[in-house]
Amino acid sequence: MTAEKNPNHKKINDKDFELIQAINSGQTDKFHDLVKRYEQKLYNFSLRMCRDHSDAEDMIQETFLNVFRYLKNFRYETKFKNWLYKVAASTCIKKRRKSKFAPDKELSLDEFRPGNETEVPDHVPDWALMPLDKLLNQELSSTINQEILSLPKKYRLVIVLRDIEGFSTVETAQILGLSPSNVKVRLHRARLYLRDKLKGYFENDQR
Amino acid sequence: MTSDNHDHKHCLEMFQKLSEYIDGELDQVNCAEIEKHADNCVACFTCLETLKRTVAICKNVKDQPVPQEFSRKLKEIIQNIPKTTSP
Repeated sequence: MTAEKNPNHKKINDKDFELIQAINSGQTDKFHDLVKRYEQKLYNFSLRMCRDHSDAEDMIQETFLNVFRYLKNFRYETKFKNWLYKVAASTCIKKRRKSKFAPDKELSLDEFRPGNETEVPDHVPDWALMPLDKLLNQELSSTINQEILSLPKKYRLVIVLRDIEGFSTVETAQILGLSPSNVKVRLHRARLYLRDKLKGYFENDQR
Repeated sequence: MTSDNHDHKHCLEMFQKLSEYIDGELDQVNCAEIEKHADNCVACFTCLETLKRTVAICKNVKDQPVPQEFSRKLKEIIQNIPKTTSP
């Protein structure tokens, strides 16, 4: 069923629909074209979800195999990219359940309250004021990627989808099967966690 | 920003809404409250500015290229999927 044939759903413009229809009508060799479109995005998403490259590669393979397996069930009611990330996030969550990791730590808002800091700041630090292009070098990119990996996974999934992959609050909620308010709560805590890590990074290195 | 001589009882309330403010997800009344508060509270103003910067850094972090070897391996795996699996 296409969006055009279903009057109950808003028409969605998606550059991937034509390719998916071709694959689903038997041109399975075109599946690789779909993989090529999203390989890099999914590779980086997986690297941010898994702590080592081997797990990340497994996650991408499983995701694309699941996409191939279930592509016939795609209903054209959402953008393909959103459906792909739903499959990827689900693959990621299932992998974690099978692993021996301890449950995710909860981040409490109280940990990050400005009044809880040892010294209440009396000015905005330079790293928040200088031009972003002067600040964002290779080392900072590497640091932020490491700190994202140190977030508990339920917070990491939300901040990666919202702030790195660029999904909206509603889209992220649909991808993860959460309420929009839950997405907002997790996102705020994840951002505050990273803010604290960046603050430490800049203060310790006296940049 | 003016002074920090104010009652800090609203700090927590403001603090909880900073991400929604940054994302443009708050109504005008709440936005005005945050702006007024941040103008009088150095701690909250600093928190807001550093949080904005944190979000900007995340939004601009660069992706890594896919290693060619992995790309080739993925292509092989895709080509070898049994065509009976679906679609």
